[in-house]
Amino acid sequence: MPAAGASQVAQAAQPVKLSLPLVYQQKLFEELRKDDELVVLARGLGLIRLLTNLLHSYDAAGNNLIVIVGAVDRENAWIGEALAEHAAISMSPRARGLTVVNTDFTSVAAREKMYAAGGIFSVTSRILVVDMLTGLLNPETITGMIVLHADRVVATSLEAFIIRIYRQKNKVGFLKAFSDNPDPFTIGFSPLANMMKNLFLRKVSLWPRFHAHVAEALEGKKKAEVIELEVPMTDAMRAIQTAVMECVEVSIHELKKGSTGLEMDDWNLDSALLKNFDVIVRRQLDPNWHRVSWKTKQIVNDLTVLRGMLQSILALDSVSFLQQLDTIHAAHSPPPGSTRQTQSPWLFLDAAQTIFDTAKRRVYSSNQKAGPDTNIDSLRPVLEEQPKWAVLADVLEEIDRDLYFEPAVRDDSNGTILIMCADTNTCRQLRDYLQTMHVKPRTEKKVEEFHDPEKDKPSASFMMRRKLRNYLKWKREFAQVSATLFSENQKALSGAVDPRKGKASSNKRRRVRGGGTMGAGPGRLDNGSIGQYFEKPGEVAELMADVQMTEEEAKQKEDVIMDPMEDMDDYYQLYEMQDLVVIHAYEGDLDEHVLEEIKPKYIIMYEPDASFIRRVEVYRSSHNDRNVKVYFLYYGGSVEEQRYLSTVRREKDAYTRLIKERASMSVVMTVDDSGPADDPQEAFLRTINTRIAGGGRLAATAQPPRVVVDVREFRSSLPSLLHGRAMIIVPCMLTVGDYIVSPHICVERKSVSDLISSFKDGRLYSQCEAMFAHYRSPMLLIEFDQNKSFTLEPFADLSGSMASVSAANAGANDLQSKIVLLTLAFPKLRIIWSSSPYETAEIFERLKAQEDEPDPIAAVRAGLDADSLVEEQAFNAVPQEMLAAVPGVNAKNSVTLALKTENIKEVANMTALELDPMVGREAAAKICAFFGRDLLENDQ
Amino acid sequence: QALPSRSSGSSILVSSRQKGNPVLACLRSIQWEYSDIPADYGLGQTTCALFLSLKYHRLHPEYIYTRIRNLQGKYNLRILLTLVDIPSHEDALRELSKTSLVNNVTVVLAWSAAEAARYLELYKSYEHAGFAAIRGQQATGYAERLVEFVTVPRTVNKADAVALVSAFGSLRHAVNATPEQIGVVGGWGEKKVRAWCRAVEEPFRVRK
Repeated sequence: MPAAGASQVAQAAQPVKLSLPLVYQQKLFEELRKDDELVVLARGLGLIRLLTNLLHSYDAAGNNLIVIVGAVDRENAWIGEALAEHAAISMSPRARGLTVVNTDFTSVAAREKMYAAGGIFSVTSRILVVDMLTGLLNPETITGMIVLHADRVVATSLEAFIIRIYRQKNKVGFLKAFSDNPDPFTIGFSPLANMMKNLFLRKVSLWPRFHAHVAEALEGKKKAEVIELEVPMTDAMRAIQTAVMECVEVSIHELKKGSTGLEMDDWNLDSALLKNFDVIVRRQLDPNWHRVSWKTKQIVNDLTVLRGMLQSILALDSVSFLQQLDTIHAAHSPPPGSTRQTQSPWLFLDAAQTIFDTAKRRVYSSNQKAGPDTNIDSLRPVLEEQPKWAVLADVLEEIDRDLYFEPAVRDDSNGTILIMCADTNTCRQLRDYLQTMHVKPRTEKKVEEFHDPEKDKPSASFMMRRKLRNYLKWKREFAQVSATLFSENQKALSGAVDPRKGKASSNKRRRVRGGGTMGAGPGRLDNGSIGQYFEKPGEVAELMADVQMTEEEAKQKEDVIMDPMEDMDDYYQLYEMQDLVVIHAYEGDLDEHVLEEIKPKYIIMYEPDASFIRRVEVYRSSHNDRNVKVYFLYYGGSVEEQRYLSTVRREKDAYTRLIKERASMSVVMTVDDSGPADDPQEAFLRTINTRIAGGGRLAATAQPPRVVVDVREFRSSLPSLLHGRAMIIVPCMLTVGDYIVSPHICVERKSVSDLISSFKDGRLYSQCEAMFAHYRSPMLLIEFDQNKSFTLEPFADLSGSMASVSAANAGANDLQSKIVLLTLAFPKLRIIWSSSPYETAEIFERLKAQEDEPDPIAAVRAGLDADSLVEEQAFNAVPQEMLAAVPGVNAKNSVTLALKTENIKEVANMTALELDPMVGREAAAKICAFFGRDLLENDQ
Repeated sequence: QALPSRSSGSSILVSSRQKGNPVLACLRSIQWEYSDIPADYGLGQTTCALFLSLKYHRLHPEYIYTRIRNLQGKYNLRILLTLVDIPSHEDALRELSKTSLVNNVTVVLAWSAAEAARYLELYKSYEHAGFAAIRGQQATGYAERLVEFVTVPRTVNKADAVALVSAFGSLRHAVNATPEQIGVVGGWGEKKVRAWCRAVEEPFRVRK
């Protein structure tokens, strides 16, 4: 990190070099060194930089054990790097840098040793909580704790649990919390005060952009020059956007209709413009999610799809957009023969047709051929370009001219031009465009006889033609793939299932062609939804010929989609920073790093991003001698513009509200609140428990109550709440059950959504079998969420749906019938119904009364093969679940597979012969066929 | 005691105590008849149900214990069909959880008479049913299995799954693809690519 403007904090105790050039940063730093507090800093004002400086000041002193909670991978990487850099700059021999503990790979013994050695640790919450509970990391030895993303620390979260354990045992260590997202602090009833309670902090420090110190620092005479360029959308783009909005509106309307009795007054089109309206809708439905109909769920999914479209219409070029639409359409179109009721309502709208039609017309259109057969359409490429491209080219030219006519004053910045955009895909697109914008396809040679001033204008036609070629090729394959994928449904529905593959394939081939003869343009299917359109082969060929590579194009080097970067040194050399145009994607706090490293003179923001503007401001103000000019592109009247404006507004509102709340906040801070565990009175009461009135067993109450908890359960809030109720939590790797309450009582916890999914894949049935094999009283805990409605009743009318009751229909898929089957299968299984985790904690307490305490060692041993090691039988959830979805894999052989192979990749690459010894011939063939099936071939 | 022998196996036996219970009005799709049984509802050879309204339970907390005692260990599966008809159900449910453990009854909650009736009907109709439905059914078609497989990482959706296999032709190629190759597939942003690659490369075993 460049130390330009680095200031030395004059504190004799710690002669460390810091890089905090701005006044507000220094003030904040001093504040943080002095007090424990929660800092809410506006995005883009350099939170990580502040943090690394702070950490370094502790690191340099050595002899510390500091724990960072809640950091994500990216932040870890950067903090580590920055600490190393700081250490090098201030030459502090005792700095040890950052140690990241983020997977279960580091063994217990190694972790213990690491903790004992001290230093700065960033630990994944799930590991940290287990380590603190098992005493691997003694909370008393911690010098201090840093909490990142403090906005996520709600009462039931793991982080809150960690902080509580820490504060219970350790009252002197420091505790500092950071957040750059003020929103969550303003939602709900006195949210700030609650958050402060969860964080065990008393003081909050707010730093919005309009804070006096911040404004002073950023709005001095060294202001960055920003030029806004509003780019109009093309008519087609606007038409698509309007059509998508219409689809959104109808979907929302359907939602309101489908789930009466829910509060949905504030769902309207305006809120649909917000960044994540689908998430908002989902959150509003969440309390009742397990009760809403299948259709409602589908519509909520549709909203996500539609929102994606709103974004991609702006971000993708017209060909890619069309390709994406094709994929969406194929995935969402219903199996043939299904009825209107079962599918997404938006597909039936005229607006949907508009979307597909317009998107297609942006790429190619049909024009009537003059001649004898006028009824045959021919296709010609249109290839609409994104309006921003031309503007981008203009801006670059302007910069060029600028540089030529008035060579800028030499300053510390490089002459580099930095282009910032939303994601790497856009990066790729822009790079392609810039590389090829001056290549001319020269198709209309006659016209170009005379000198055409238009000719020199940059255009994307080369790139677009290449894209169209790829698209046409892709489309042909895709038709094949989707036919292969989805024809199965059709076969199943038509009832004429042909077991012989050979015959089926000939059918399929005909069907593909049959689809083609349906004609160009999306026709409606029988059931009224839009059919997937496939052009006639003749037309496609024509179109293909039309965009065939010209000589000029062929001269260009092959399109490199990705650089493997393998033998970079052989082929490349470094460019002068002066000549570079760097395209980069927004990456939150890391952008700061990009700015510092590239030192650009010109920045083009291809997409708006409020926090990046601040980063530029900070960058500009931090460096006296660097000039920077920012161009800022956005589509006028677009979702993009709306979103940008509303983010800025929302953040400002949030800070205003926070400041108000802070002023009136009555913090009853009980930092000393160590929970009832240490309370001597409580301990006394426990030993003379009133429940043993009848001369019960005193022994049971002599030791503190204990619950053995599976380590995987720490994702839920229940362990934290049990701990809050003065129970000792013993984290163990359990094979059978989730919570062992007493030597005989074993509880399997299921949230409602878990319950549904574990019924579906049969997991619950085998879990119950296992519990009955090892415990006398297995219990199933059905736990509802705190804010979820406590009922399983679906909104649909139950009566009259008795067709599903008939015994023949034992596969009925509502939750009630599954619960009935489960209790019939396990008559001794007891069910606990709990309306919230808080409730569960109380129920557990009651269940434990008069029972002996569970034995952790016995609990761990339950369900394990006697001769194998405990550690070897713990599996990662995601790959395990994927394995279960593979045909031929069942509960038994999946264990064998998981033990004998490394990961999914290995299984996918095995031949049937290799798999045979593990799973048997039949299953091996199935597994192999599943992975190996080639969708581009007909005969599979 | 002697059960009426004429009682056929196909109807729900209802104790005459249950007269006037609105649940009876909702029992429509399966026959029921009054019978002299210790439980409230006889749902098969080894299954019975006691009905409890929480409203009633609040007034007469001892009632249900008498009833359970009167069952005298008959029946293998003893359902305590509880109608949640009061808003402050927490205390009662806490107590019933403990009771179910001590007295060998299985608590099943219903939130309306119609739902309660449906439970009764389901118990009766599943009397001889197999348990295949809850032992995990496998999706049938290749396409469904494929989509199911690919969409296990949470961020990946159905359209992405289709896009992925159509770009690579087969699942094996998709599994073997590098992050860069997947990144150019339409719809696959960085987050999805990372989630997918992690999922296929993450080892099955957690090693300590």
